[in-house]
Amino acid sequence: MELFTPDFGLVFWMFVAFILLFIVLAKWGWPVIIKQMEGRADAIDKGVEYAREAKQQLDNAKESAQQVIGEAQARQAEMLREAAKMKSQIIEEAKREASEEARKVMEQAKVSIEQSRKEAELQFRNEVSKFSIDIAEKMVRGQLKNDEEQQKLVNKMLDEIEKN
Amino acid sequence: MRKKFAILFLLMSIISLPLSAKASEEESGTVDVKGNIFHHLGDGYGWEVPFSHTYRIPLPVIVRAEDGSWHCFSSGRLVKYDEMSDPESSKTHTVAIPQIVNISKDGKENAYQFVLAHESKHKDKVVQLLPTSEIEEHEAESIAAAQNDEIVDGYVKFDGKYYKEYKPFDISITKNVLALFIAAALVTWMVMSLVRFYTRNGFKAPRKGMGFLELCVDFIYTGVIKSTLGDKAPKFAPYLLTAFFFILVMNLLGLIVIFPGGANLTGNIAITLVLAVMTFVITNINGNKHYWKEIFWPDVPLFLKFPLPIMQVIEVFGIFTKPAALCVRLFANMMGGHMIVITLTLLIFIFAAYGAAIAGVSAVVSLIFSIFMLALDTLVSFIQAYVFTLLSTIFISMAIHEEHEPHEVKESPAA
Repeated sequence: MELFTPDFGLVFWMFVAFILLFIVLAKWGWPVIIKQMEGRADAIDKGVEYAREAKQQLDNAKESAQQVIGEAQARQAEMLREAAKMKSQIIEEAKREASEEARKVMEQAKVSIEQSRKEAELQFRNEVSKFSIDIAEKMVRGQLKNDEEQQKLVNKMLDEIEKN
Repeated sequence: MRKKFAILFLLMSIISLPLSAKASEEESGTVDVKGNIFHHLGDGYGWEVPFSHTYRIPLPVIVRAEDGSWHCFSSGRLVKYDEMSDPESSKTHTVAIPQIVNISKDGKENAYQFVLAHESKHKDKVVQLLPTSEIEEHEAESIAAAQNDEIVDGYVKFDGKYYKEYKPFDISITKNVLALFIAAALVTWMVMSLVRFYTRNGFKAPRKGMGFLELCVDFIYTGVIKSTLGDKAPKFAPYLLTAFFFILVMNLLGLIVIFPGGANLTGNIAITLVLAVMTFVITNINGNKHYWKEIFWPDVPLFLKFPLPIMQVIEVFGIFTKPAALCVRLFANMMGGHMIVITLTLLIFIFAAYGAAIAGVSAVVSLIFSIFMLALDTLVSFIQAYVFTLLSTIFISMAIHEEHEPHEVKESPAA
């Protein structure tokens, strides 16, 4: 049977064709395709992993952001409270200081008033004493116009000294 | 639905027209079924063209003559075309008449004579005609008369005369060889276009046809080779992938009826034999110590391997039967598919002798069955290419398989 006896020519050419095809594809064909396919599979795997991680990170970030916001809010509230406290404190202090200042000013004023009063009093006294001396002088002068009278006065004074 | 029937009817009538013409041509009214089947399954020096019974695409014939010289000539020179008038229908049609190819040497004409043998042991092969004396010719004639058969050993009958023949060493580019080259070129083109796509597009995944090609590569590489051979896969993948795609393309080309296809390649034992021998060689070259130990000193009771080497004989036999089964499986599957389709088609011509009605019915039935068979053959093409690759992979994996600590059981205390 022709069908069951391999024809030499065909065997020869099949061998040649197969070997050539094999050499060409083994050198430039299959390794490239396999490398590419595996590389792409790896890249896809990595991509999926990356996406998963990114999602997780995003979830984490959201959580941490929430936390940060909460913290910030708490701090804000605290700061507001502190500011309010500080405000009242400052006002209080200002008030106190102002009153202190006022008191000081008043005191100073009082002192100066006292001083000027004293000065005025002294001046007044001096004036009054001067006036009274002047008056006494004028009176004495009027009384001692004649010698008799003067003698009488000198005697009277001498008497007084002697009595003492 | 009605449209489909109309198309079917049209097809049917197209088929039955030439068949009635053909039937009238045949003098006896019967069709040479066996000849037709084997013609379509077999090889040839030319390639048939559609709608012609005589013309062939000429291909180079390369032969080595008896004296060792090589000769190359067109297969078109093996026949001459002649107009022949049909006495019944008064129409003329072209017939191909075999003729002798004369090649001159050193001024001497007819130094080498080649002819396409018909009545010879080497039917349908190119044979060299040797100078034959009249005595020898008469001798051959007497032998033919004595055995009541025209075929005489060592002689070829050509044009009513017996010549001494020599079967030359023949590496002609026949129809099958050309189909082989076309298939190889197609595989190279397919794979290289995918490689080119990769080099141009980097990590982009191919789409459509190339995506399908990549899917096939991945199906074989990841699904068969890598899962069986593991980290040794890259070493054997080129051979297995080449085998798969070459077989697949040859199978599918064989199903196409006209020019680039139509050659029954994988249904030819020479092709499958080479493929099986490749697997055989690769398997046994890479066979490790464990593989050879399993053959020559398998783990069986002693009386099975000594003094009579029963197991060894079986194992050694098994080395050869495994690739032989590969060879025959592919060959028989593909040839069977082709044979069924051809037989179904020939049924139309056989039934044509019984009248137009029966011919019409048989044409429709045959057509439906042929389409079904061709669809099935497409599936079989894939399956057989896959099975060949799968089994080759398994044979290789058995040859490179390392021993997996079978001594642990023995070492455990028995009592």
